[in-house]
Amino acid sequence: MSHSVLIAEDEKNILEALSFILSREGYAVASALDGNTAIEHIRGNETDLLILDVMLPYKNGFEVLKTVKTDPDLRKVPVIMLTAKGQSQDRKTAEDMGVDAFVTKPFSNKEIIETVKRLLSGKPA
Amino acid sequence: MARAPIGLKIRNRRKEIGLTQANLANRLGISASYLNLIEHDKRAISGRLLKQVSEELDIDMGNLDGAAERRLILDLHELAADGLFSNFNLTQAAASFLVGQHTDWARALVMLYRTYLDQEQTITALSDRLTHDPFLGEAILKVLTNVAAIRSTAEILDSIDDLSEDELGRFHGNLVSESRKLSEVVGSLSTFFDKANAKTRSLTPAEEVDDFIMEKGGYFSRLEDAACDLRQEVQGKGMFSESALIGYLERRHGVTVRLGEGGVRGAGISHNQCIFDPDARTLEVPAFASAATRMYEITWLLAELTLASAIDEEIKEADHLSSESAHHRAARDLMEYLVNALLLPYDRFLEDALEARYDIDLLVRKYTVGFESVSHRLVTLRKPGSEGIPFALLQINPAGYVIKRFNLPHLPIPRYGSACPLWSIYTCFQTPSQIVRQLAAFPNGDRFLFFARAEAREQSKYSQTRVMRSIMLACNALHADKTVYADGLDFSSEALAEPVGLSCRLCSREDCIHREEDAIMGEEHQPLRRV
Repeated sequence: MSHSVLIAEDEKNILEALSFILSREGYAVASALDGNTAIEHIRGNETDLLILDVMLPYKNGFEVLKTVKTDPDLRKVPVIMLTAKGQSQDRKTAEDMGVDAFVTKPFSNKEIIETVKRLLSGKPA
Repeated sequence: MARAPIGLKIRNRRKEIGLTQANLANRLGISASYLNLIEHDKRAISGRLLKQVSEELDIDMGNLDGAAERRLILDLHELAADGLFSNFNLTQAAASFLVGQHTDWARALVMLYRTYLDQEQTITALSDRLTHDPFLGEAILKVLTNVAAIRSTAEILDSIDDLSEDELGRFHGNLVSESRKLSEVVGSLSTFFDKANAKTRSLTPAEEVDDFIMEKGGYFSRLEDAACDLRQEVQGKGMFSESALIGYLERRHGVTVRLGEGGVRGAGISHNQCIFDPDARTLEVPAFASAATRMYEITWLLAELTLASAIDEEIKEADHLSSESAHHRAARDLMEYLVNALLLPYDRFLEDALEARYDIDLLVRKYTVGFESVSHRLVTLRKPGSEGIPFALLQINPAGYVIKRFNLPHLPIPRYGSACPLWSIYTCFQTPSQIVRQLAAFPNGDRFLFFARAEAREQSKYSQTRVMRSIMLACNALHADKTVYADGLDFSSEALAEPVGLSCRLCSREDCIHREEDAIMGEEHQPLRRV
């Protein structure tokens, strides 16, 4: 069985590109266009990893991260945050909340795939 | 106060018309040696002798009273107080000498200094804008997002050979749409920087307007006449009342004033609470607007629709106003002047002010206007031959920003930065809506009566930010007894006056516990103490 990855990103073209490349790598990819949907999905579905954009409608990336990392059932789900270059304060805030990795926009597909693989290595699917 | 260096002006004019010192002295009934002292600025002249000199040399009194020179000297004093020149020995005596002997050099220096300040403010504003501007922050995030989508999609197209026709079409479409979005964001960024780098001014518009109003002594006879005529026309044989104004607007301009409307729409988008729709020709005045606000707003619209040409003429003749922004600011200030002149007609208001001993609260009630309107109007009571007490005025917001200022010859109000923190204009923020008076003593012995009040602008809804303003009038202690604000104060003892200064950098009170900055000039450079 493959690992399941949730991508929470409101930019549809980024979402489509990421979904495509991760699916080709063999992951089961789900997507959410806003923070509320992301939380709803992760609570109702087995999720092995979350790729989370900072700027999301309704609940932003930090609020989603806080929900995940303070929920005993979800806190072990690794989270990759998509941040913009130069947003050092965003990184600090996310680190304090327990984020597992950052990928900075504009990123390469290779960087995303390697980070996902690293965080899921050794984790049973 | 600096002596006006007008000696050179007298000497040059005397020579120009071919008079010897002895000739002129003879005509003036003074000794040649005394005239020599005057021509070398060793003696000041005023009163009858000044008038005689003006007549003999055929020079306008206005050119000879030295007001322009005094202002220039004060500008140089302000320049000298800047920390930038702390290593230079810029004495006040030298400033007077420079103005007297080389007026254009003095003007050039002041202009250069103002330009420097303006550029410095522009650089600070731009730097602040680049760091904190929400548009820039958002635009850069958009660019990064677009580039991330383009890069990721392009890599898919470049590295994956077995894409289906459908996938190829979709990813190409995504590339096109992201490129288009990127072009739009970059285009708006380019416009932003174009605006940010717009031509800088040699003076700030606020300073230009400031100089323009000071030059006029705060009094505009053309506007007074226009306001007087219009007021007469509006009131006819009745009163200058709200109903007369509404009737006149309807008849003359086809504008309908709707009382009790527009409140919800206007709340939050206009401080003035009233909305004029030029197409529908309606002025919506919300029910909660106070009587003073209603009168002010309706009068403002009347002045705008009727007397704009009087303001245009005034501005056209002004030498000081170079930029479009300065024209705009001046037009706004003059419109305010006109509105106050309409609401508070000169002769009657002066008479009432004298009778009420300048009691602003009393005048506010009598004329149904705001505290600010009465304060501003009192400063404009300078009609030659029919003057009130000369008042200085300072109006600020809590951030210390100077909204309006008007100097008195002995009380130069700082153009940049803050004044002495002990002035009642600052302390009155602690007791809003209450007049705080102060007998202020300056290091050179000058004493002024200050009275100030802070108040919040009318708030139209709970969530509207409540910003306060404070306004202060100041008059020389010599005139203080003509005002109610001097009642109960003892002017006979200097001990009761509060020691203040102009600003820390211009103050010689070394022992002041409130000092925040070192004085730029020592005691030896302060104006001589008057006795």
